[in-house]
Order: sequence, then C-alpha cells, then structure tokens
Amino acid sequence: MPPLTFNIIRQSTQRRAARRGTLVITQAATATGNTPTTTTITATTTSTTSSTTNVNGSGQNHGHVAANKELIKRVIETPGCFMHTVKGTVPHLTPDTMRLQGFGGVHVSIEQLLQDHQPGGFDKWPLTLSKFLNLQDMILLCDLRDPSRYFKVPVKSDRHIAIKTHKGVRQLTLEEYLKVVRAYQPDIVAAMADQIADADVPPAGTGQGSLDAEGETQGSPCSGPGLKRVKRSIDRSLKWLDQILLDRQGMDALAADRAADEAKRQKMQKAATGHSHDSTRGVESLALELQNPDLITTKTTTAMTRIPWSGVSVFAHVLGSHVEQERIRSAEETARREAVDGFIVDTNPLHGSSKETILNLLKVSLDHLPVEKPRMVYGLQTPEDVLKSIAMGADLFDTSYPYHLTEDGKASLYSFGSDSNSINTVIKNNNNTTSGEVTTNRWINLWDDEHANKFTPLLEGCGCYACKGGRHTRAYINHLLKAHEMLATVLLMSHNMYQYSKFFANVRQSIEDGTFEQDSASFIQQFGSEPERTGKIHAAQAIVEMALSKRNRLDGSNSASASSCRSSRNGNNSSESEGEQGAMSKEEKAEARRKLKEQERFERGEKNRMEGLKRKKEKQQQLVADERDAERTREP
Amino acid sequence: MKSALKWDVIAKCGTTKARAAVLTLPHGPVNAPVFMPVGTQGTLKGITPDQIEGLGCQIMLNNTYHLGLRPGQELLDTCGGAHVFQGWNRNLLTDSGGFQMVSLLKLAEITEKGVQFESPHDGSLMLLTPEHSMSLQNSIGADIMMQLDDVVSSLTTGPRVEEAMWRSIRWLDRCIKAHKKPESQNLFAIIQGGLDPALRKQCIEEMVKRDTPGYAIGGLSGGEEKDKFWRVVSQCTDLMPREKPIYCMGVGYAEDLVVCVALGVDMFDCVFPTRTARFGNALTATGTLSLRQAKFKDDFRPIEEGCDCIACKSYTRAYLYTIVTKETVGCHLISIHNTAYQLRLMRQVRESIIEDRFPQFIHKFFKDLFVEKAAYPEWAVNALKSVNVDLIQGENQP
Repeated sequence: MPPLTFNIIRQSTQRRAARRGTLVITQAATATGNTPTTTTITATTTSTTSSTTNVNGSGQNHGHVAANKELIKRVIETPGCFMHTVKGTVPHLTPDTMRLQGFGGVHVSIEQLLQDHQPGGFDKWPLTLSKFLNLQDMILLCDLRDPSRYFKVPVKSDRHIAIKTHKGVRQLTLEEYLKVVRAYQPDIVAAMADQIADADVPPAGTGQGSLDAEGETQGSPCSGPGLKRVKRSIDRSLKWLDQILLDRQGMDALAADRAADEAKRQKMQKAATGHSHDSTRGVESLALELQNPDLITTKTTTAMTRIPWSGVSVFAHVLGSHVEQERIRSAEETARREAVDGFIVDTNPLHGSSKETILNLLKVSLDHLPVEKPRMVYGLQTPEDVLKSIAMGADLFDTSYPYHLTEDGKASLYSFGSDSNSINTVIKNNNNTTSGEVTTNRWINLWDDEHANKFTPLLEGCGCYACKGGRHTRAYINHLLKAHEMLATVLLMSHNMYQYSKFFANVRQSIEDGTFEQDSASFIQQFGSEPERTGKIHAAQAIVEMALSKRNRLDGSNSASASSCRSSRNGNNSSESEGEQGAMSKEEKAEARRKLKEQERFERGEKNRMEGLKRKKEKQQQLVADERDAERTREP
Repeated sequence: MKSALKWDVIAKCGTTKARAAVLTLPHGPVNAPVFMPVGTQGTLKGITPDQIEGLGCQIMLNNTYHLGLRPGQELLDTCGGAHVFQGWNRNLLTDSGGFQMVSLLKLAEITEKGVQFESPHDGSLMLLTPEHSMSLQNSIGADIMMQLDDVVSSLTTGPRVEEAMWRSIRWLDRCIKAHKKPESQNLFAIIQGGLDPALRKQCIEEMVKRDTPGYAIGGLSGGEEKDKFWRVVSQCTDLMPREKPIYCMGVGYAEDLVVCVALGVDMFDCVFPTRTARFGNALTATGTLSLRQAKFKDDFRPIEEGCDCIACKSYTRAYLYTIVTKETVGCHLISIHNTAYQLRLMRQVRESIIEDRFPQFIHKFFKDLFVEKAAYPEWAVNALKSVNVDLIQGENQP
C-alpha cells in the first residue's frame, strides 16, 4: 500500500475542469512517546489488518508489531495548499500560531537548509526533516527551490544543478540530492529538474552546435528560449527522474554516471599530460562518447543495492518553457513513468510573459497529464490565478501569496463564493468613504494613515487569530508597523493565511455544489486582478525605515539590534524602537526617495556583492552590540 | 493616598529578607516575587498576547514616553486605554518616561518644570512634566503607574545627584496632585539618591510620608559597581515599609534577581531577556547559549531539558541555529523561551520561599549557573552573606 493516495471526490462533468479531491498520506502509527504537543489538524486513525512498513522511518517501532496496527492519515483537501516556508518555517508564525491557519501541508525548499546542513554531514543526522521541523502532523513536500520566485542559475552539465543557499550559489549533484532525500525522508519530494527561464538561453537558432553554449546568457531576454536548450532541459530532467525513481527502489542508478566521470577524469588527465595540442576536442568527443552510458555500465554491472526509500512519494516537474510541443512531450514522457506520484508545473520561469500566455502554457501541460494524479502549480498564487488554474485541473498551490501581502503590510479582504456577499456588506458599512471601490478591495494596506484610528478588526467577522473577537484592530496594527514591531507581521500573516485557507475551503465547497464556474466569474468581476508586485515599499514604511537608520547612526547602541534580526527579504527587524515619529522635512523626504531608488538598484544588480559586505558589517556590529548587550539592561 | 491594590504576604523566608506575596491589582492577581517582561511600545517583541498569557505572565510593562509619542494620547483615549489597544487583559505597569532622560540624554533638557525631549528625527519638542506624565498614564490606564522622577546616571557623582533626589520628591508631590484615577490606578514613588546611603535614606523618609501604594528603587542598573548596587538595594529594603510592594527597576539577570529577592525586593523588570533573544542568545539554568554558534549545528537537544515553552517543545538547538537572527520566527521563539525562563525562575524562587527552602534553592541555583565556587561573583557572595546565606561555606551554615 503506497503512502500517498489521491482521491477525486468530484470531477466536473466538463472535460478537465475543476476537481475536488484529497491528497492523503497514510502512515503506520509509531507509538513513540515523542510526538510533539501539537494539534493534529486532519489526522484520523483507522484500524486495519494489513501490515504496513514504517513508511517514514521517522520513529522506531517500539516492539509492538500488532495485528491491528493503527494507521495515521494526514490529509490535504484539494484544491488546496502547501504552506510556503523560508528555512523550514512559515514566515513570522511560531508553530502554535501556524497551526491555527487550517493547512495540512508544508512545502520546504531544500536549498534554504543546505548551507547549514550539508549532505556530507548527514551521517550524523538522526531525524527526519518532519521531526526536525516539528511537522509530523503535516504532509511535507520538499523541492530544491523556493516555489515563490525564480532564480536564474546556470546548469552546464548532467551531473549537478546550481542552487541558491543563503550563503550564495552552490552546486548540488544528483548523488548529494539523493543523500538529502534519504536523510530528510519527506512525504513527497520533487525530482531534481533543469528549470530554465526565457532569459537564460539564447533565442532559437543561435544556441546550436557547441555544448558549451547552453546555459550561456547572450540571448536577448525577450526572445523565446532556444529549442535545443529546451529539449536538453527536458531530456536531462527525465534522466534525473529515472535515476531518482531507480534509486528509490534501492538500485544504484548513479553507477553509470560515476564510472563515466571517472573515465572522463582519467582521459582528461591523460590529455593534459600527453597530447596537449588538441585537448579540447578530445574532451568533446569523449563527452559525446559518454552520452551512451551503456558502454560504461557493462563495467559496473554489479551495482550495489541500496536501501529503498519507497515511503517517499515523488512529484516530477513538467517542463517545456514556451515551446508547446516540448511542453506536451515533457508532460507525456513524465506521465509515462508510472512510478511518478504527482506533477509540478512551475510557471515562475515563464514570468515576463503575459498572464494569458502563462495560463495557456499551463493548460498545455495540464491537458497532457493523467487525471488520476495530483498536479501542483508554482507561480500562480493570486486568488484569480488560482481559480483559473483550478478550472484547468490544477489541485495544489502554495501560500506565497498571503506571505507577499504580509510583507507589503496588506490584509486580505477578498472572499469567495457564499461568503463574499455577507462580508462585503459589512465592509460597505464600515467604510463610509466616498470611493465606491472600497467594496471591491481585495486588500487594505495597513501602512495607510487612514487606519491609524480605525478600532475595527482587519475584516469584520473574520475568525483568524488577529481578528477574532475584535482583539486586534487596524489601528493597533498600523501602530505596530510604524513602531517597527514584529507583532505586526505576525498578526497580518495570521490573518492572510487564514483567509487564504478559507478561500480554498470555499472553492472546494463551490466545486461540490457545482457552482464553481459562476462563483469564479463573480469573484473576478468583483475583485478584479492583483496588481503587479513592484517591490516598492509603502511611503510610510520608507519613512520609518529611514528614521530608524538615522537613529541608529545617531545612537550607535541600537544599530546592531536593528539589523540583527532583519529577515533577508523585506526589512522586518526588531530594534527597541524609540520614538521616531511625525512629519518629515523636505530633505528627509528626498532622502526617503533616494533610499527607495537605491533599493531598486540594489535589487536589480550587485546584489551578491552588497550582501556580502552587509553581512560582514552586520557581524561586526553584532559583536559590538553583544558586548553592549551585556551591559545595558534597561530600556533606553 | 488612595490605593487600588492589595498586598498579601503569604510567606517569609526564615533566613533572608525574601517574601512571597499576592499582589492583587485591578486586572487580576500577581504572584510576587515577580519578573515583568517589557513591551515598550504596547507589544512584547513579536509574542502574541495569547502566548504571553500562556507563559503565565500576569503583568507586563509599557512605556509612557513611547506610547505618548505613538499612538498618542488621543487615540488611547478613543479606544479606552492600552489594555484594549494591545488586546492584553491582564495587568500593565507603565514607566513614566523618566529613564529616557538618561538614555536620550543628548536630546533631553531637564528643568524644574519637566523634561524637554527633542525628537531624534524631526526635532519637534515634547515637554514631559509630572502632570503630563500622569495625564498620559491615566489615559494609558496602567494598573501601576510610576511617578516622573529626575533620573541621573548611577555613575554620576556630586551635587547633581542630590538635586535629582530632591526634585524627584517635589515631582512626586506634583504627580500625586495630578493623578486623576487613584481608585483604579496605583501610583508608585521612585526612590532616588544615587549610590549615596545618606541621600537614599533622606529620600525614603520623605517619600514614605507621601504614603504611595508601592515603592520603587530607581537610578540603579546603569553600569555601577555591583558591590555598590546591592548595598543600596539592601539599605532601601531595610528602610522601606514592609507592608508594601518593593520594585527594583531595570534588574533582569538571573543572579541579580535571586540576590535581590533575598535582599527583600518583590518586583523586577528588564528588556534583557527579549533583547538578547534577538541576538540568538537563549537563557538556561546552566548559562546562556549563543545559538548563532556553529557548535549547535548538530546539537539535537532542546534549548533546555524540561522547559515546556513552544521553542523547547518544538525544536532542537540545531534547527534554532539555522533560523536565529535570520528569521523573525527565530526571534519570537527565543524571546518566548527567555521569557518562559525568567518567569519559571521566579516561580521556583517563590515556591522555595513558601516551602521555606529558599537558601537551599540559592545554593543550587549558583551551582548550576557557575559550577565552580571560584566563579561565583564576589558581590553576590557578599550580598547573600549579609542575609545569612553563605555560598562558599555551603548549605549547612546558618
């Protein structure tokens, strides 16, 4: 009995339309007393006589191999969501608050953890990732990359992929990746894939010939990727997928690669020592020779068998960039692998194209995937994109949308289906402003001064931690933002996550009720579409940050505390804020503008260099601050 | 003057000056000795009110100066005070803003009338007088409000110390006069006088005449010699009325708390636990763990065995190592743990007083924290000796 099952509860009569289902991980209960004290959201226990292996390897079967073994089921209702995480944690939410949001799954990006927990160090690793992150009650999906954005990372070989850790880009071989999977033992792992974006590859026609040309970036950013490069990315990813699936069965799928690498190394050594006149061609011809691994496998047929990791389900990336034919090929070829448990379509690399184009390309992929397996979509997380994707048969998403709202200081007001009418009348009553748009606002920005004296919850009637019982008001959150206090993002995240979860619940209800199409149409009519996220910060935020940095210069004692806990993305830090307040002079406003521009520039280029310098500086500041920390005990 | 509190001493230590009490305030009971976490701007560093309650916290601090600037008096009046504003239905204590005279000295000008602060950002002026401080604190609605005092750094010497002491007494009179809600809010006087025993004595004599519901020892924890610090504390508790709560401001290191309780102090506050948390430092009974250090990379133990806070129940040091000072959740978790640690320490102190085994507790506490007797801070040894606990000779000494 495989740990992962996907059940379609209701499929619309229309072909490939929205479907309602459940993604279930079934696991033998391991009666170790070491379970975390967390509430299990969807876990239900049933009895069965079938013997099930300890799928996760997470706990020790403490002797009692009972005939009536308890089974624990963890469920994600679909269409639904995995929670998006940074470094294995849902941003801003401690585990208790995180569990109030109503999600059953967590998506973890391996690249964000690898710097601290290198594959080499996994011999000492005594835990599964679920346990390490205290997520045993959730379905854990691991992928290499952060699903909320695309980083251009060059891939120049079949042997490794480049990943972005918080200390910079590094290479990860398939072998290391498999080590990670074996150590982490997630419920679901995404296969390593060669994901390419438009801007990465030369336009069609120019990238032909040399092997080295792939991955180079001389192509114009607007043009489509080279067909050859697209094909290669698919072939390469399929090869990796096959190797991963073999490895999962306990077969040494990498023996051929290792032998090839060894042969290559020897030949290169020979070339370097011997005939230096034509060494490059030597290597190239060798590379071609190595394309046919059968030549080598014969040498290493006695590949050692390894411990299978059949408890881990594999989701495969479906690729193809802008080339429809290739998208179809990738989908069909991937679907042909029966052992694949689900699919991921990452639309992040397509960004830059129009939404319509992206959705069409998504549809091409989804149309060629088997209906009975779950499909996850990256990069289309705004409510309306989610609705459109669901209408094409997508099942799973992530929560990077509520996270981005939170980082911008926004609180969701949108709602779907039956809820939307009641809530909007409430909003109408609460906002006696003249603008009629208020009723259709999908969110409010809590940085806006208008909320400073609004002693109402973010959303009337909302059951989230922040809003429930009217405990935390818009005015309070506005105050927290301006005071640079971290509780602001905790409350906003809590609200936005809860609302996103509710949105999906309503979508599921709507599919069950058979009103999904109408409800989607009226949602889009009512709430329009999400404006492009510019990366610019709110003027009020710029003022606060500027005041903060100015104060830090003035009173050096706080400089380190201001930067110490700065989250790497959007400055949410934690200084003991003193009273920076009030109106700004012209010069200061100019400075705020300058800062904004600087930030944009910062984001465009020179990022790594500047980050490096910043880190160095922060380190020094931290040392100084720590000493001071020891002396100063009272609030300044 | 009128009082809105009840102070019931339920046990006294047979050896030291320590006592266990219940302080009943308008927003519920507080078990003393108590450590009060500091939520300067109406929030405790990313910890939700539910989480703070869950830690067993019964009273928290806010700062008058900061809340007066933002959100401001008008908004506080509109919403009905700081309790409602921050969703905290337990007790609040507000510092008067006097301490900001020291911390923002470059920007403050002190006259008999009050303190003139210059905003570090827009240069606008704010005059904080005893009357204004009272008015703000009445709007905030804290269960305990502190008088505006003339705070000088504890390193200051000479006539300025005496001037500040007398001015604090005059300002106390103005505060009492300006206090609008003595039946629902308690005003505490703050004893000044620097490190000079004569001045402290005079100050206490004068302030006790004013008969405020409680008293604080102010003007310490500013980097003065610890040996002088404890002598001032001990002198003050000797001279202050024993039927009222005694609050020592700005004290928060674990060993300071234990010593000061032995010297007869009931209430403490400090930003240290939450501030140090943001640098990745976790407090434990055996010392501070700097979780930024790579040595915790493969340490799969909780921060502290037996701690029931969410950080210890959920995560290992190895995971915390990967997120502290990088993710806000890392800050939240360590802040929660450190606050839990401080509150637990005070609970243990209180229980040991009630069970009359506080001296034994002190011995164990110092042994756990410093391991070697040679490492015990000399000032603490001296201070405890003054209340009949001899750390060096051991538990059997009377």
